[in-house]
Amino acid sequence: MSTKQDNIKKTIELPVMKSGTSSSKNKFWKSLNFMENSNSKEVKKAINNEFSDGVTDDFNIDELEPSSRRKFLALMSASSAFAAVACTDYRDKGEIIPYNNKPEGVFPGIANYYASTYTENGRGWGLLVKTREGRPIKLEGNPDHPINQGKLNAVAQSSILGLYDPTRLQSPMKKSGEKFVKSNWDTVDSEIKSDLSSASSAGKEIVLLTNTLFSPTFSSVLNDFKTKYPTTKIVSYELFNENNKLEAWKSCYGNENLPIINLDKAKVILSLDCDFLATDGDEVENARMYASAKDVNNLESYSRLYSIEAAMSLTGQNADYRMRLTPELQYDLVLSLINAVIKKGINADSSVASKVSGYNLEKFVSENGLSEIATNQLVADLIHHKGSSIVLAGQTLTTEVHIAVNLLNDILGNSALYSKENSRVSYNSIANNNDLKSLVSMMNSGKVGVLLNLDTNPVYHFAKELNFENALKNVNTVVSISEFENETTKLSSYILPANNNLESWSDAKVRTGIFSLGQPIIAPLYDTRQKESILLTYISNEKYTNEIYHTYLMSHWETKVYASANVASDFKTFWLSCLHDGVLKTKEAVTSLGKLNSSSFVSSKNTLSKNGFTLILKPSHFIGDGRYANNGWLQELPHPVSKITWDNYAALAPKTAKKLGVDTFGQIEVSLGDKKVTLPVIIQPGNAEDTISVELGYGRTVVGEVGTNVGVNVNIFLSSNSSSNWILIGANAKLVEGAYKMASVQEHHALDEKSGMLDIKDLHLKREIIQESSVVEYKANPNVIRHHQSEVTSITSAVAYPGVKWAMAIDMNKCTGCATCTASCNVENNIPVVGKDQVSRGREMSWIRIDRYYAGTPEEPIASNQPILCQHCDNAPCENVCPVVATTHSADGLNQMAYNRCVGTRYCANNCPYKVRRYNFYDFRDNLLDGYYYKESVNLIHNPEVTVRSRGVMEKCTFCIQRISEERQHAREQGRAIKGSNVITACQEACPTSAIYFGDANDKDSVIAKLREHDLGYHVLAEINVKPNVTYLAKLRNVQTEGAHSEHH
Amino acid sequence: MSTIDYSVEERLVHGDRSLKQIDDAIVNPLDAKPNIKYILALGLTVTMLMIGAASLGWTFYKGIGVWGNNNPVGWAFDIVNFVFWIGIGHAGTLISAILFLFRQRWRNGIARFAEAMTIFAVMTALIFPIIHTGRPWVAAVYLLPYPNQHSVWVNFISPLLWDVFAVSTYFTVSFIFWYIGLIPDFATMRDRTTSKIKKVIFSVLSLGWRFSNRHWQHYEMLYLILAGLSTPLVLSVHTVVSFDFAVSVIPGWHTTIFPPYFVAGAIFSGFAMVQNALIVIRKIFEIEDLIPLKTLETMNKIILVTGTMVGYAYGMEFFIAWYSGNQLETFTFINRAFGPYAWAYWIMVSCNVLSPQFFWFKKLRTSIPFMFVIAVFVNVGMWFERFVIIVTSLSRDYLPSSWAYYRPTMFDFGLLIGSFGLFFTLVLLFAKNLPAISIAEIKSVSEGAQPSHHGESNHSANGTHGDGHNG
Repeated sequence: MSTKQDNIKKTIELPVMKSGTSSSKNKFWKSLNFMENSNSKEVKKAINNEFSDGVTDDFNIDELEPSSRRKFLALMSASSAFAAVACTDYRDKGEIIPYNNKPEGVFPGIANYYASTYTENGRGWGLLVKTREGRPIKLEGNPDHPINQGKLNAVAQSSILGLYDPTRLQSPMKKSGEKFVKSNWDTVDSEIKSDLSSASSAGKEIVLLTNTLFSPTFSSVLNDFKTKYPTTKIVSYELFNENNKLEAWKSCYGNENLPIINLDKAKVILSLDCDFLATDGDEVENARMYASAKDVNNLESYSRLYSIEAAMSLTGQNADYRMRLTPELQYDLVLSLINAVIKKGINADSSVASKVSGYNLEKFVSENGLSEIATNQLVADLIHHKGSSIVLAGQTLTTEVHIAVNLLNDILGNSALYSKENSRVSYNSIANNNDLKSLVSMMNSGKVGVLLNLDTNPVYHFAKELNFENALKNVNTVVSISEFENETTKLSSYILPANNNLESWSDAKVRTGIFSLGQPIIAPLYDTRQKESILLTYISNEKYTNEIYHTYLMSHWETKVYASANVASDFKTFWLSCLHDGVLKTKEAVTSLGKLNSSSFVSSKNTLSKNGFTLILKPSHFIGDGRYANNGWLQELPHPVSKITWDNYAALAPKTAKKLGVDTFGQIEVSLGDKKVTLPVIIQPGNAEDTISVELGYGRTVVGEVGTNVGVNVNIFLSSNSSSNWILIGANAKLVEGAYKMASVQEHHALDEKSGMLDIKDLHLKREIIQESSVVEYKANPNVIRHHQSEVTSITSAVAYPGVKWAMAIDMNKCTGCATCTASCNVENNIPVVGKDQVSRGREMSWIRIDRYYAGTPEEPIASNQPILCQHCDNAPCENVCPVVATTHSADGLNQMAYNRCVGTRYCANNCPYKVRRYNFYDFRDNLLDGYYYKESVNLIHNPEVTVRSRGVMEKCTFCIQRISEERQHAREQGRAIKGSNVITACQEACPTSAIYFGDANDKDSVIAKLREHDLGYHVLAEINVKPNVTYLAKLRNVQTEGAHSEHH
Repeated sequence: MSTIDYSVEERLVHGDRSLKQIDDAIVNPLDAKPNIKYILALGLTVTMLMIGAASLGWTFYKGIGVWGNNNPVGWAFDIVNFVFWIGIGHAGTLISAILFLFRQRWRNGIARFAEAMTIFAVMTALIFPIIHTGRPWVAAVYLLPYPNQHSVWVNFISPLLWDVFAVSTYFTVSFIFWYIGLIPDFATMRDRTTSKIKKVIFSVLSLGWRFSNRHWQHYEMLYLILAGLSTPLVLSVHTVVSFDFAVSVIPGWHTTIFPPYFVAGAIFSGFAMVQNALIVIRKIFEIEDLIPLKTLETMNKIILVTGTMVGYAYGMEFFIAWYSGNQLETFTFINRAFGPYAWAYWIMVSCNVLSPQFFWFKKLRTSIPFMFVIAVFVNVGMWFERFVIIVTSLSRDYLPSSWAYYRPTMFDFGLLIGSFGLFFTLVLLFAKNLPAISIAEIKSVSEGAQPSHHGESNHSANGTHGDGHNG
């Protein structure tokens, strides 16, 4: 030991001794060389000038010694840089250049909003387009617009995909032989122009085929066109139109101003085959007004909805009383109702009274199996609430029914609900069957020289018996102006690519006193032009510029609208403010209603009689008249009633299906005269027996790759000879062997299944997933829902959320189940379309879905809808099971997903009681149609604030975390606390009935905090103590007797 | 009926082979060229393995979507196979460790083989937790608690993570246990072989074993310690695997009976698999006398006991579902038996509960063809048990709106076939290259291994090395 210590001492002492010997003072030195030369000039200079030339830079590596430190470092850093570069997957994706001159108002990372207009078949809605760095990424309703008031429907929400659709037409094409060749605008314009002039000078007709015209300026363009080419004829058509209704209105009131009905003021609504909440037009407005009278905090004006219909509709699902009736009996029903109310003392003309005297309601009810209790209640309600009740008839019903309904509303004084402020406007009438027949005969006789399809697709839409396809062969020049290829462009001589709505100037006037203005949000992506501009170049000899229609629109507004608006500012200010607002309200007198002329009623008779099966053609919920067939988001939105995606089908009543020996996903052949179609079947609880209802718009054969051959084209059944184009009696149906599997997002088990031990009837009520009561019960006992909720004791202490705690509430009284929330969420959160194959495997990706349940009997089901999204549970069962901590809880109560960390065990999804987690089974961007989402244009649609998820990771609703972050950012900027009500989630923003509430549960004054404590509030699956943060307000059925569901509680 | 003399212990090894002859019987086949039967068998299993590899390759290329898994049914064949193979892996360690501690010397003939099967079954099983993830290339890393600059740790409250630890520990301990047991045999083979390459390999693997008394002492001690360490693992591994389900909130998974039920099931299926394989091996290598019928019969008794325990668990699940009054629980179990997957449930019950009951009859449990068939049924039944637990519970859980029926695809079957291919390929390679019966241990129970008062000993017949260890 001692020797060791000695050694240590020695080694320590040694240098001290050495330095001591060299000098008397302790002088420290760095190296021997330095010590020797420390007094030399070079060294002193070097010390003072440490970074002199040649020391740090400007050295030549070649001159260095092979083993020098610098050379080693240089070589090593060079080789590691090479290695690093070689190992990345960096590919040169082109130059990234910052703005040289920053466009005014564009801040990278901050969204801009522009007002514009959306139009489709009678709808003229204000849009608020969200753009990021110049790209439109989301459509919302314009809150200033009086019609849609900040809301849109699912179709309009999803229509943005059309702009980026990779199959859009990109340049003009010209038919050469059997094929189309790419051409250019100059060539096609001059050729078409000469065809137009020669047709005009030869006295041949020039037919412009349009959809409904809403645009005052476009109408003026058409007039100019007519002036230039006097033989012009304008024909407008719609696959589904209000002609029957309009016809009836004309014969009753002598004018064409169909009223807007103030549904918010209605105490009682009777809907006869009228899906006013979804497909019967004006749905956003109707839904808003309907829901405003379904306010649980204002039970006095809580409305009651009766629905008597053949095919289960969204409106029927929401009805307090729903009854089934085949459409050919609607006339008799209305007359029986008129008779019943007259008998109860409502005044009516004697001619009316005698007309209806033979129609006995009791007899009608018992013969047709309607509910006696419900019809008695209905008659009593109509009389009791006369003046504030309304009877609505669907647009597909015959003119006679509409006349009778007008009369019933009139004698009940319900015309008080007709809006005094606005009525509908139309610039040209929609062609009826006779108009179309004469058009075709003109074409066949060779009297039509040029046919211009302005964004229309008559070959697909027109009734088969018109034989339009054949007639086209007799037209010299057929021009189609269209965004997409379609059945008609295929048979045209020229295809002119049209701008998307978001690339176009437009205006619209669908109501008196309301002008909407639309502006282009983005420059045309391709070599396309808007149809108005194309026509303008044919009218004048002006050369086309981008501004041609813009200028025209402005001058039209200056001369027509500005003059009538009567404002003090100059036109430029006026114009810019209109453009900014997107809407202009003017004072315009509404034609007074006048007195109803009952003679047309007295002379009317039922034009339909029961004969075999009744085929009911219905408008599609989501793909319009087929124009949205290529929109994958819309094809994949589950049908609000059947939950089927990517198909249309024949919906049959359970008993009818049994009679035909067919089951869900079986097939039947429907025939009418010599027309035949094989259709897949679903059994639809609540459909009227002996009816077959099918939606139109499917079975497109010439369309982009997404929509080709999706569903069956049933347009061939459209009749040009029946009193309603869409209600066809005398159909036959027979079983076809073989199954046709459709993709449904909910299992189609029989409603009433109780086989042996297994009872799955009414599970949603037994499990208290759906909790409902009635107005009567709730009034008597406000705790009717709350008493179901038992307190669950937890063995762990609850986590405190001292700051903000995010929460949602959904009012089931207002929710109609329209799926607009799903559509909005899809766009906001970059949710991919997965295709029919994947949906049928249960892999749809929507973050918010609408669950639909039936109770009651298959014949008279009681439907309940429920939006389900991630419940952001306080005790989230998904979180503890994730082995890699990819899903965690935030301090403000959000259940979060870290996509980068997720390895995709799917354990979280398994353990989610609500099954809201969605898994990327594939790279869904690549899986659809061989890389659909990787196409350049589709890439542009993504919301840059939301990560695009890759294969193998889990995803789910985030409560729109990007919007929460935005508010957090604003709050920090402004040095204030986060305000819960400033965050509006995408679903909430879109909900037409404002049924979704979101905010900070800890903000005790907020709406959300109050709703969480509401008497009707409940949590789904509260008993498993996961503590969800989505509160559902139980639906109150406005039924007079005990709650329709009371037997289940 | 002939009288049985219960005072004499039944012999555990039949045939009057000398110790040298035992060596020959076990080692000679390893040195012989593989015969056509062996090549055909290997060809079959490798083909199955290739089917699995192709399915897996396609899965890696396309994604989990090529399987049938859907939204409510996030786990299906992938996890069914995992639990099934982990279960198979339970018999080996039970036989070699627990039965060793209980001095069940009939195990000596089968322990090595059973243990090898454990190793291979666990290896097969371990593939599934990795490949069932959506991103296996990160799962393999993220599932391990490694220090990283993101300061992200694994989630210690997730049962899946417990699985990672439980299974990897089990594998490690079983492997070491197996290897330690092999050392004396490696030495025997080292001493016998004439191939230079084999000599080197066996020399390295035998770690300088010289059959010295001191070696044997250390060996015995280590073997005993490892047996002690392995014993709790036999019980804990499947317990932890059962936590994957028991810890969840899904009716049909959230069940406290799972740990014992899973362990019983695992032993049940493990014994059935070992019994199946042994019947084949003892036939091929003509060592029926080393693994006598008595051993197989004893195994069948264990199958009967564990099968009955499993049956009890099935019944108790139903009873509790009803007795708890929880309608969700009740529904789940009625749905299992009478719902859309009733076919799977009744396959499970008839294979697992009914078929082992035949083993009550001595005649049946000593008939080799019959017991073989029953054991196959047991394995089919046990695979279906996991299928029933996993798939039926998920396919119909809380919200009826989200129910969906699961259908496997060809890739699911491909991976199932591939897992059998991998397992049996490994078993065949093992049987041809390493002693499938522990030479040292079997000697200890052969005639004359024990000290006797009769003076004569068979030891002298074996000139090359010392005797087996003293049991």
